[in-house]
Amino acid sequence: MQVLLDFIRRYVHIFLFVLLETMSAVMLFRFNNYQGSAWLSGLNTVTVGLGSLHEQTLAYFRLQSVNTRLTADNIRLQHEADSLREALARATHQPAVTERRLMATLSGYRLIPATVVSNSIRRDNNYLVINRGAADGVRSEMGVVASGGVVGIVYLTAPHHALVLPVTNVKSSISCRVRGQHYFGYLQWKSGSSRHAFVDDIPRYAKVKPGACIETSGYSAVFPPGLFVGRVKRVGNSPDGQSYQLDVVLGNDFADLHDVAVIATPYRAEIDTLQTHAAAEALTP
Amino acid sequence: MLPPKPSPLNLYTLLHTYLHRLLCFATLVLLQALVFGHIHIAGCAIPMPYVYFLLLLPSDTSRSQYLLWGFTLGFAVDMCGITPGMASASMTLTALLTPYLVRIFSPSDKGDEAYLPSAKTMQWGPFLRCAFCLVLCHTFTFYLIEAFSLHNAWLLLVNTVGTTALTLLLIAAAERVRTR
Repeated sequence: MQVLLDFIRRYVHIFLFVLLETMSAVMLFRFNNYQGSAWLSGLNTVTVGLGSLHEQTLAYFRLQSVNTRLTADNIRLQHEADSLREALARATHQPAVTERRLMATLSGYRLIPATVVSNSIRRDNNYLVINRGAADGVRSEMGVVASGGVVGIVYLTAPHHALVLPVTNVKSSISCRVRGQHYFGYLQWKSGSSRHAFVDDIPRYAKVKPGACIETSGYSAVFPPGLFVGRVKRVGNSPDGQSYQLDVVLGNDFADLHDVAVIATPYRAEIDTLQTHAAAEALTP
Repeated sequence: MLPPKPSPLNLYTLLHTYLHRLLCFATLVLLQALVFGHIHIAGCAIPMPYVYFLLLLPSDTSRSQYLLWGFTLGFAVDMCGITPGMASASMTLTALLTPYLVRIFSPSDKGDEAYLPSAKTMQWGPFLRCAFCLVLCHTFTFYLIEAFSLHNAWLLLVNTVGTTALTLLLIAAAERVRTR
């Protein structure tokens, strides 16, 4: 208290000066119109400036929450943009000849569109995982196709996902034939490039040339006959030398596989196969 | 411990001093109100010799007393004129600076001893310099408050210089008469 009193006593003239100047200012602004209005105007400017500064300061401290909200919005919009981009790509997609032919072959079948969510091509036993499962009607032993032709066969199903055994698995064996001929063999993959597979057991008297189309033979309940598999690149001898071995360039690029479809019509492939064989028998003299 | 009781002689001296100050105060206010307040030389120089009053106070006057005298004088001038608040504000500021200026320009032979500022005690040079500083401070503040902006700085400068010169001339004349 004594310190405070000493302080006041020491600087009393300053307090007195401020008091007297305040009284003078009151008189000045009260009795002089020009100074009064100029003072009010200046005061308004200062008030507005301070208000603006205060608002800016608050806005600065609100940036944290704004930033969080913007990040959430940004993520949501990116997802939205991605799905719209995919939808647009699907809507404006121009199917190639192979795909059109494939779709024509599968026109009577129920197809379940799916997306590949996991893929491997580097191992011997490669697998695919698609985002459709038992809940969507996918069952084991159903065929899977893509725009480039045959992909593989459903191996296991979960409620919402399914494991597919692709052509690029050494355990895969799909009955195929050369288009326009009746010679058939089994498509097998022997590791290495994911674009190449082999069709064995083609008789040596068959006339197969590089560039010929390889398609499913229909000798199974999985794929209907006539589904494109790939093209012959080279005709070679089988290891035992008794038959030809066809080096086939696969229609699908398994390293860039995204959209596929599961052939879901039960027994339809069986029926088609029977009909094809019946027609072939009838034609044979 | 109580302060010593003032003797009748001291009381008379005190009364005489204050009466003398009041007389000077009233004279300067009346002169400003009746004569100098109506003089506008070339529209830019108005004599304001009432600042002289601050130089009539002895150097040992307390700073609070300087402030009170300065404010009262300015207030009286404001009341007699049409400038409410302007003279009182500028005189209060000038009164705040007066003790420092009086100390700066104090004669070297006086030391810390109290003296009455005048051309006789301070010599003409320091006295006029001290008066110039006070008048300049008062005049500049007065015109700045009157204009209340720096948009017309040239007019502010001309008014300040003209009024300072004229006021300083009057103060020098009054000091000449007083110290004769």
